[in-house]
Amino acid sequence: MNEELDSQLSAMFDNELPAAECELLARRLSRDGDLKARWGRYAVIGAVIRAERGVTLDGTMAGRVSAALTSEPALTDDAARSGRRVQSRWWQPLAGAGLAAGVAAVSVFWLRSQALSGHSQVVATVAANSSLVAPAARPAVQSGSVAASDSFVVPPAPQGQMMVVPATELADYVVAHSAFSWPVSRGNLLSALMVSEPGTSSMAAGSDQPPPGVHGNAIQNPH
Amino acid sequence: MAESNFRQGAGEGTEEAEETVGSLNFQIVSGSIEVAAPRPYPWEERARMSADASDLSLVRRVQRGDKGAFDALVLKYQHKLVKLVMRYVRNPAEAEDIAQEAFIKAYRALPQFRGDSAFYTWLYRIAINTAKNAVVSRDRNPVEYDLDRSNTDESYDMQGRMKDSETPEGLVLTDEIRSTVNAAIDALPDDLRTAIVLRELEGLSYEEIAAAMACPVGTVRSRIFRAREAIDRRLREVFEGGLGRAEELG
Repeated sequence: MNEELDSQLSAMFDNELPAAECELLARRLSRDGDLKARWGRYAVIGAVIRAERGVTLDGTMAGRVSAALTSEPALTDDAARSGRRVQSRWWQPLAGAGLAAGVAAVSVFWLRSQALSGHSQVVATVAANSSLVAPAARPAVQSGSVAASDSFVVPPAPQGQMMVVPATELADYVVAHSAFSWPVSRGNLLSALMVSEPGTSSMAAGSDQPPPGVHGNAIQNPH
Repeated sequence: MAESNFRQGAGEGTEEAEETVGSLNFQIVSGSIEVAAPRPYPWEERARMSADASDLSLVRRVQRGDKGAFDALVLKYQHKLVKLVMRYVRNPAEAEDIAQEAFIKAYRALPQFRGDSAFYTWLYRIAINTAKNAVVSRDRNPVEYDLDRSNTDESYDMQGRMKDSETPEGLVLTDEIRSTVNAAIDALPDDLRTAIVLRELEGLSYEEIAAAMACPVGTVRSRIFRAREAIDRRLREVFEGGLGRAEELG
């Protein structure tokens, strides 16, 4: 047995041999009885140095395991492939994330569509309450057409009373934000949620383009 | 650089500049060039990166149907596994049975081994679970031993050691192996003994041993190999001339 091979075997035993050399040596090790016996003695040397008490060193256990495995079917490429199939699960987290994103997107679009479908009712409600609308904003609402839905008016508080209307104020912030936000994000989930806010249902529906006069004329700022 | 000089192996604590030339690491510090410990050669880098490559190459062979490769894994880890199992069961014979069962379970489960963790880590978990299950099962179905419970633990262990697969010949051989290996280690030159002990007892990598012994990784590999060869030469005589167990290792 040449010295280089023995040196490789020693390094392989310590997991310090390059992978390419391991492949070749592993093949030889599995077939060469002398090499395997030497490998086993290397393990014995390690066990003695570590003073592993109670461990028998006569090597009979390896023989018993080997004998027990003779009745076992050899692992086939199919079995290994099924193992590797399990191994290729890297895409599963990505698929999960994609699915979650899809559900979220559908939810957002559904909420937006719900908001738009309820928009005509909102316009009707606003028209019915037109007596509360400031005179400057009245013509836009009275038209009652779909085009008029692009403008919206927050009902002002009764004259002379400084009421704090949180929902209305919140709607004002959303509208104001929409005026400056990125076009894609306009009419986002927050706007859609505003539709369900009591007293603010008239706000969110057409919040893409708030009319210029809405802040100055229609809302009485409590501050 | 007018007063530049070269000093070998004295590069500790010098972080000002670093330059690699070939496999040597030159450090330029305050006008002097110090040659620190040599940098590893490319094959040494590769070896470090493929830390579990040898086990993995054997595992892949088993997965392709080569049972002989599994024998090599059993030979390598049988003692460690028995020692591990003995934390759960005190009887060495029972520990061997459990370790044997763990190896067989590992063989059957090997198609599912993905290589995400080291093989021994995976095997370790199987052995722990097997040992725990064995303890639970034994507690549910206690076996009545014909033992005098007033005996000391030592005598209990002795009776346990003599059960089942343990034979007087095996125990004698084990003792002879121990004394032979210990004598061979004592006879080793210091550098070889230090290298093999750091590797086997402390579990250091070749790179760590190289740092500890202030020598290249290639020298460590050579020292460990030569130490093993010197011990193995005497050990082989025990196995072959002793009680004829050598063939069972193969």
